[in-house]
Amino acid sequence: MRRLVLPGDIIAEKPLRLDHTIVEEGKTCSTVIGIFDEEKNSFIPLEGLWYPTPGEKIIGIVEEAKLNTDLIDINAPYKGLIISKFSETSLAGGDIIEATVKELDKTGTIILSRPRVLFGGKVLVIKPSKVPRLLGKQDTMIRQIIEKTKSSISVGMNGLVWIKGGDSDMATKAILRIQDESHVPGLTERISQMLEGKE
Amino acid sequence: MEKPTLITNGKRLDGRDQNTLRPIKISVNPVKNAAGSAYIEWGNNKIVSAVYGPREALPKHTQDPDKAVIKCRYTMAPFSSLEEHGRPGMNRRAIEISKVTKEVFENVILRDLFPGNEISIFVEVLQSDGGTRAAGITCASVALAASGIPMRDMPYAVSVGKAEDTLILDLDKIEDNYSSADMPIAINPRTQEINLLQMDGELTPDDVHRGIEMVIKAGEVITKAQREALLAPYEMTSEKYKASI
Repeated sequence: MRRLVLPGDIIAEKPLRLDHTIVEEGKTCSTVIGIFDEEKNSFIPLEGLWYPTPGEKIIGIVEEAKLNTDLIDINAPYKGLIISKFSETSLAGGDIIEATVKELDKTGTIILSRPRVLFGGKVLVIKPSKVPRLLGKQDTMIRQIIEKTKSSISVGMNGLVWIKGGDSDMATKAILRIQDESHVPGLTERISQMLEGKE
Repeated sequence: MEKPTLITNGKRLDGRDQNTLRPIKISVNPVKNAAGSAYIEWGNNKIVSAVYGPREALPKHTQDPDKAVIKCRYTMAPFSSLEEHGRPGMNRRAIEISKVTKEVFENVILRDLFPGNEISIFVEVLQSDGGTRAAGITCASVALAASGIPMRDMPYAVSVGKAEDTLILDLDKIEDNYSSADMPIAINPRTQEINLLQMDGELTPDDVHRGIEMVIKAGEVITKAQREALLAPYEMTSEKYKASI
C-alpha cells in the first residue's frame, strides 16, 4: 500500500536503510514529504533538494569564466567548478552547459568535468525530486516527449531542463505537467495522450 | 483602561471554552519565488512565512563549517495591530522572537547535511491579534516542509495562560494584555519534545504541567491543520483523475 507521509511521520517500526529518512529510537521516520510503499519498502520524495553524486549529468549556467577555473550556477547550495586545465572547451559567462559531476570537494564545491556548451534554446527549472519521474524507467518518458515533439531536450539531475527546437511549447507543458502529477498513477498514458493531441 | 472580566459563566470574551483554539486555516506556497512558503489565518492573525535556501551563508563569518546556520527574521507590518507599531523592521521584541523562532528550527532541521550554508526563514505578520509568535512558528514549519528541507519533525506552537484563576488556551490580544500569565510553547508532535517555552506572569508549577498537557492535546488539532494544508495539492490532483496515490 502506498501512502503520503510528511516530515516526522513514522514510516516503519523497524530501522530501514532508505534515503530521505532517519532512524530514531529504532523507528524509521521520513524527513520530507513523500510516498512510502509498504510492500516494496521504498520511499519516493515529492519535495526535496538535489544531493549531488559523482557521475550524474547536470545542466548549469556559467556564472564566471576565469583564467583557470569556471564557476557554474547549478541550482544547488554549492557552486559547480570546472578546472580549465582538464577541459578543452572554453566557456564564457552566460553559457548554458551540460556537464558531469566528477567529484565532491571536502569544502562542498562540486567539481564538474566534460562540459559541453548548449547553444540557443531555453532552460526550464523544475523540482529536482521530480527528475527521476521525468526521465521515466530507462528514460522512456523523456524519449516519448522527444519523439513526439521533435525537440532537443537535455535533462540535468539538478532540476534544470534545456529545450530547443521542435514543438518546444508542448514539451514545456508536458514537463510541467509531469512535475505536478508525478504522484498519480497512469501518468505515462496521460502524457502520451496529451502529446498526441487527444486531450 | 480598567481590567475587563475575561471569563464569565465559563465562556471567554469571544465565546470560547478554556480549551478551545481559534479557527486555523493554512495554505501552502503563496510566495512563488521562495523555496517554500505558507500563509496562516489563526483567528484574526494573518501571517505569511517564506523559506529560502539552503544557500551560501553570507557574510562569510556567519558560516559554520560543520552545519548549516538558520537565520530567522520575524517582523510585524506597521499596520498589523491596533496600537501603533512605529517604524517597520526590527525592534527589541522582533529581535527576541526571531531568536526563539530560530532556536526552535535549529533543533528540527537536519543541519549537518548542509555545512557552510544558511537557511533563511522569514515570518511577516500582516494582522495581529495575540499569539503571533506561536502562529508564526506553526506557519514557518509548514513552509519548511513545503520547501523540501529535511526535518526531524514538524513543530507546532500555541500559548497557554491564566485568567480569573483558570488556565486558558490560545490567548488573543485582550486576554494577553489582561491575563495574569502567558506561556507560549512549541512542541515536536512525534517526540513531544519542547522546543520553546517562555513565560510572562505568574504560574504555579502545577499550572505549568497542566498547561503543557493542554498544549499537547490541542496539538492534535493544529497538526491536523498543518497536514491537511501540505497534502491538499497532492490529494487534489489525485481526485481529479480519481486515482489513489
